[in-house]
Amino acid sequence: MDMQVSAGPKVVLEGASVAYGDLTVLKDVDLVLGDGEFLSIVGPSGCGKSTLLKLISGLEPPAAGRVFVDGAEIDRTPPHVGFMFQRDALLPWATAEENINVGLELGGYPQADRAKRCQELIDFLQLTGFGKHYPSMLSGGMRQRVSLGRLLAYEPELYLMDEPFGALDAQTKVMMGRELLRIWGRYRKSVIFVTHDIEEAVSLSSRVIVISGRPGRVKREVKVDIDYPRDLRAVRKTAVFHDLCSTIWDEIMGEKAVEQAADDPAEAPA
Amino acid sequence: MWLSGWRIALLVAILAIWEVVSFTLIDPFWISRPSDIAVRLWDMAVSGSLWTNSWATLWQAILGLALGLPVGLGIGVLLAALPRFASVVEPFWMGLYSLPRIALGPLFVIWFGIGLLSKVMLVFSLVVFVFILNALQGLHEVDRDLVNLMRTMRASRFYILRRVQMPSIIPWIIAAMRINVGIALIGSVIGEMLGANRGLGWYIQISGARLDTTGVFTGLFILMIMAILFNEAIKIIEDRLLPYKRAS
Repeated sequence: MDMQVSAGPKVVLEGASVAYGDLTVLKDVDLVLGDGEFLSIVGPSGCGKSTLLKLISGLEPPAAGRVFVDGAEIDRTPPHVGFMFQRDALLPWATAEENINVGLELGGYPQADRAKRCQELIDFLQLTGFGKHYPSMLSGGMRQRVSLGRLLAYEPELYLMDEPFGALDAQTKVMMGRELLRIWGRYRKSVIFVTHDIEEAVSLSSRVIVISGRPGRVKREVKVDIDYPRDLRAVRKTAVFHDLCSTIWDEIMGEKAVEQAADDPAEAPA
Repeated sequence: MWLSGWRIALLVAILAIWEVVSFTLIDPFWISRPSDIAVRLWDMAVSGSLWTNSWATLWQAILGLALGLPVGLGIGVLLAALPRFASVVEPFWMGLYSLPRIALGPLFVIWFGIGLLSKVMLVFSLVVFVFILNALQGLHEVDRDLVNLMRTMRASRFYILRRVQMPSIIPWIIAAMRINVGIALIGSVIGEMLGANRGLGWYIQISGARLDTTGVFTGLFILMIMAILFNEAIKIIEDRLLPYKRAS
């Protein structure tokens, strides 16, 4: 099953719904993620963006509909899926190295080569010299880089990223975005990137999906026709970029006006 | 430096006031006096009874703790892993927990005699519940995100137990240990008061029976020193086990 050669879609959702008791969080979501695609998902807070990732990673079972990863319907966590949360979710009692090592262990990396691979990742993520530091001794950006290191160590084929840079300051966020694009450019794995930052979504991804407020459903899809590799600062100055951002922004605001939920300043663009 | 200076000054002041009061206001028959206690300590040290009595009490406490820790931890993990079973038995073990277990003392003497074992079991019966409760609470408060993240990487239950759950309850176990050090000494002393031929509890008991307040205070003093040293030892262990807390 792991050995699928065809370049079929990486993830397919067919009419997938998720409910917590009476509360429907996601409703009839259809989605196709191509192999090697970088997809962003935006939407108002509480629209079920995070739930969508949990659904794909098998942490949350669908109430209705079906979820396929690599062409196979999932019943538990599929292999080769890497998850990254907004919170770094590092083991506080483990050093940066040991945290990255968790990814190597669980990814089944040959034991003899782990130390070397770990050091490579640390250097690659510009954490050189911080391998023996505990998370509490690192800045938010560095912690998130360790978290990214753990993800890379696991060598996933599919990256599920839940507002991974949401807690970082604006500059660090852009730097981490650049880092992520560098990694993506190198390995070309499939990425689903959840964010509430529209500019971040447009600048990074090749396609953006807008999800409506509760219950969440796919409201609009926007293709981002900007070539890779991208210079994130240059991209943000282009007309295409601004048009796309305002299109998506209108989409979400229209949504909000209907819901009269404009009292949530957290959704303002950065 | 500043802190220990003040601590020593306070100690000296208390002892000086005590000494003066025993010569002026209150008959030392009731409150003894520091100089008498010091002499008694010296006599006991010379005769060797300081060591035999202290060691007896300490050893019972240590054995009770050493038994209580793995059993309590094991039961805690089991109850956390089997929530249905846990909810069935909860009232029963909470009932046992609420029982003043000192009252089990006479029963333990009947079952285990007046030797070492009855005291160890009394200590065990007192400390095991704190270990269970803390292990349970600690496991309950394990960061869900950490567990979920491990699950997305298809970690086994055992891997999660080893890498996430166990490390995250260590601070809880150490907290339990701190509470239990005092409780273990209580259990050990009470056990000796119920029937023994050595130990600080026994020494305090016979001193009281002879209206020898100096003997009682000397026993209490040694117990206090013992508890302080015990606590310091736990702190050292804590520093060793939780380097990441020290770092922050």
